[in-house]
Amino acid sequence: MKREEILSAIYHCVKCKLCSIVSFHPNEEWLPLCPSGQFYGYQAFYAPGKMEIFREILEGEISEPSEGLLKAVYACTLCGACYEKCKQVSSVEIRLPELFEEMRHELAVKGWALDAHRGIVEKIRETRNAYGERYEYKYRYRYKRGDREGAESPGGDADADVLYYIGCTARYRVPEIADAMLSILNKLGIRYQLMEDEWCCGSVLLRTGQVEAAKELMEHNVEEIRRSGAKRIVFTCPGCLKTFRQNYPDMGVELLHSTEFLARMHIKVDDKLDINVAYHDPCHLGRDLGIYEEPRSLLAEVAHIKQMKREREQAWCCGSGGGVKSAYDDFALWCATERLAEAREAGAEALVSACPFCKRNLREAAEIEGKGAGLGVYDIVELVNRCLKEGGARR
Amino acid sequence: MMTSRGVLSPGVIKELQAIVGEENATDDVAICASYSRDQHWHFVPPRNPACVVRPASKEEVRAVLMLANKEKIPVVPYSTGINVRGLAIPVHDGSILLDLGRMNRILEINPEMKTATVEPGVTFGMLLEQTRKYKLRPAFPDAPLTVSVLVNYYLRGIYQTAAADGHDHTISYEMVLPNGETLRTGSRALSSMPYFRYGVGPDFAGLLSAHPGTCGVVTELTAKLYRLYDHRQEYFIGFESVKDSTRLIYNLMHDELATSIRLVDNQSWLRGICGTFDYPYEELPKFVLCVLVEGLPGLFEAKDKLVRAHIEESGGRVLELPEAFKRRFEEESLGGAELSCMVFHLRGNYHCIGLYGPLTLAARYYELHEHTALEVGIPGDHVYFYLDPIYNFHGQLCYVELDIFYDGSDPRFGEKLREYNRRQFHRLLDAGIYGWFRPYAGIIEPTTERIGYLAEVWKKFLRIVDPNGIMNPGKLF
Ligand SMILES: Cc1cc2nc3c(=O)[nH]c(=O)nc-3n(C[C@H](O)[C@H](O)[C@H](O)COP(=O)(O)OP(=O)(O)OC[C@H]3O[C@@H](n4cnc5c(N)ncnc54)[C@H](O)[C@@H]3O)c2cc1C
Ligand code: SF4
Ligand code: SF4
Repeated sequence: MKREEILSAIYHCVKCKLCSIVSFHPNEEWLPLCPSGQFYGYQAFYAPGKMEIFREILEGEISEPSEGLLKAVYACTLCGACYEKCKQVSSVEIRLPELFEEMRHELAVKGWALDAHRGIVEKIRETRNAYGERYEYKYRYRYKRGDREGAESPGGDADADVLYYIGCTARYRVPEIADAMLSILNKLGIRYQLMEDEWCCGSVLLRTGQVEAAKELMEHNVEEIRRSGAKRIVFTCPGCLKTFRQNYPDMGVELLHSTEFLARMHIKVDDKLDINVAYHDPCHLGRDLGIYEEPRSLLAEVAHIKQMKREREQAWCCGSGGGVKSAYDDFALWCATERLAEAREAGAEALVSACPFCKRNLREAAEIEGKGAGLGVYDIVELVNRCLKEGGARR
Repeated sequence: MMTSRGVLSPGVIKELQAIVGEENATDDVAICASYSRDQHWHFVPPRNPACVVRPASKEEVRAVLMLANKEKIPVVPYSTGINVRGLAIPVHDGSILLDLGRMNRILEINPEMKTATVEPGVTFGMLLEQTRKYKLRPAFPDAPLTVSVLVNYYLRGIYQTAAADGHDHTISYEMVLPNGETLRTGSRALSSMPYFRYGVGPDFAGLLSAHPGTCGVVTELTAKLYRLYDHRQEYFIGFESVKDSTRLIYNLMHDELATSIRLVDNQSWLRGICGTFDYPYEELPKFVLCVLVEGLPGLFEAKDKLVRAHIEESGGRVLELPEAFKRRFEEESLGGAELSCMVFHLRGNYHCIGLYGPLTLAARYYELHEHTALEVGIPGDHVYFYLDPIYNFHGQLCYVELDIFYDGSDPRFGEKLREYNRRQFHRLLDAGIYGWFRPYAGIIEPTTERIGYLAEVWKKFLRIVDPNGIMNPGKLF
């Protein structure tokens, strides 16, 4: 991005702070929209304040990485909720999450990245995944031995058109999502392949401004995918999907989220689950990729949906995006707790998302709240898998 | 654009942290930078406060003010910071920015008395959410509903969204002075009933108000609330000139028939009122009078009939705009402005001179606006107009806004606007106005030249309440 373009966007922020609340009309309810502003309070944590900080960085007036600077810049989930509101009322030309990513890049170039985020680069360098886990072992254990529910897959068919890109979080932190997805593919009798050597997509590095470090990962994955001959890649992680769609070169393959893929299958289940659920829009899936309908139609097939007050473009972020979970876990969990409360208020017994980051953070918050609180946290594919019988039907 | 800041001693920061808690006072450069600039930066240059302090109670406010007074440190009160006139941007290096956002309690909604008592951090949205349960609403400015109710009323805003509400919504308030004393205005000084503006002697609420943080810090304020009616009707009437519209405005105001009466041009605020850019507004007459009638059943129908009769004889063209536009006009008028702020889309930034004057001079103000803008090189299609008559219309009182929407990232345009202001302030004063929207640096200087001994009295008064000149110094004199 050019400096002039950035400054122009900053000058067009009129400091109205409408980006801090959900559209007030017609329901006339005052509902916060910006997690970081709501949690930390100072102007620096709202979009207009962050923009002033960026201005002073560009104009050379901020010349040290103070604690406040790092927090204001990195304790932002890059959820983009501010932008959805801002674009109604201003001519700020740049999508705010992109502007804030650019600001992080500026900081990273100056060597002002957070230790927690630098650590991720190290882990990726060593293990090719963001959690520093041993890739081959975990993957083989979970899927090749077939010792988990729905994990009968032997690892896929090397010449299948469909490739399931698992992603770091579903492999190492919420494997039940990967299990469920594989199980669904098996039940539907869809031939699929997994990547021989799947590396982190690079999303976490791009979101934290460490752009250079992501390049090698991207090149590797592109090479692997080309070699696989797959025509369609399915993702359960919207962060990976967004990165593939927006940051990877065009590989001539179709990139689909699990919910898009499964919605196309017109899945039919005999018995819907007798459960009221709220659907949490993941930021990367909704605001970034505009995928709102498919998850809902899929979920409606398997459970009863209750509406929350903040949904779709104005959904409250779960709190784990933008590198926040790894650096400011207290803030991340607070966001998730707010979301759980909202789901409960809507009359839901479970909160369902379509993203392993969301699930992980929301589940952790639910666990801290205690079992008594009773709100289940799932990914859509888990519920679909539960309802789908062996040799499952398609409409 | 360089931003100054200045520093405070570590001892002072420690003391401030002891008052409000460590996490609520900081001299971190980046946190301070986030308060450094607002919409008015072509006129008020950016400046960082030296620290930001976020008190949670009036006791904390008092302790901060007393410390600042002792150390002679400038204090800039800040409630939501959306004033669009640089009023909360420090003039001096080494200032404390007092962010009152944590004080956001609605202390009372009294449906019997039709009043609400609020702290500085309560916004119009927050207040309406609660008052509508009683079929009541606050008087709204056409400002985003994220602004502070307390500050807007205390600074005496413009309530053009419902002209019928009139002008004064403040009943009484409590202000903490730099010496730590608390002033209570109106009946609040005498009892626990804060419901009457005039308590003892002079109108102290009036005397202390409309000061941009230059007296003390208002910690709570009691304001009037207004009825919400179920029966409503909207009209959009087109005119080709400001002059053509004035007869209808006069009649509606004289007979006290309509709740909202706004004369806007078809290119700027009309889009905001209708909530979309997606309409061929250029095909409409140049000026559109937006009228909203409401009331109790029976009364409503009678008023509506009279309004129609006035419209018919006005010579204006009744415009058939989509139903959705009417709904938005209603929402934005009686539920707080949100979408109307989209006028910023026009070119990115907004400049206006807001003034009070009689309807009889409305066309003259517009003429001057066009003339001076063209003279300094501002293109005609950047020049916009807004007029709002104010109940009960004594003196044919109107609020007039001479607007320019522009691209603020162009520094040359900033220079043109400064020149526009230099000329226009004098011209408007020469033409005759009742007063400015609100006093602020730039507009105050040519004004005080003309008000004789009143200027001296005003300055002396400020010295009495703030002898060390710590309260937002430089924002007025
Ligand atoms: C698009 C747009 C349209 C607008 N239209 C209108 C309109 O139609 N009518 C209207 O009235 N306004 C309008 N405004 C202006 C703005 O909304 C008001 O000026 C606003 O109410 C004041 O801003 P604030 O509440 O954020 O106060 P701040 O910006 O926080 O403060 C404003 C001034 O008051 C002082 N101050 C703050 N808190 C206190 C306190 N507790 N005690 C003492 N002094 C204090 C500050 O030091 C500063 O000088 C508009 C603004 C925008 C952005
Ligand atoms: S809504 Fe947009 S213009 Fe308004 S404060 Fe937020 S970022 Fe700035
Ligand atoms: S991206 Fe999300 S957390 Fe960051 S400023 Fe915008 S709304 Fe707040």
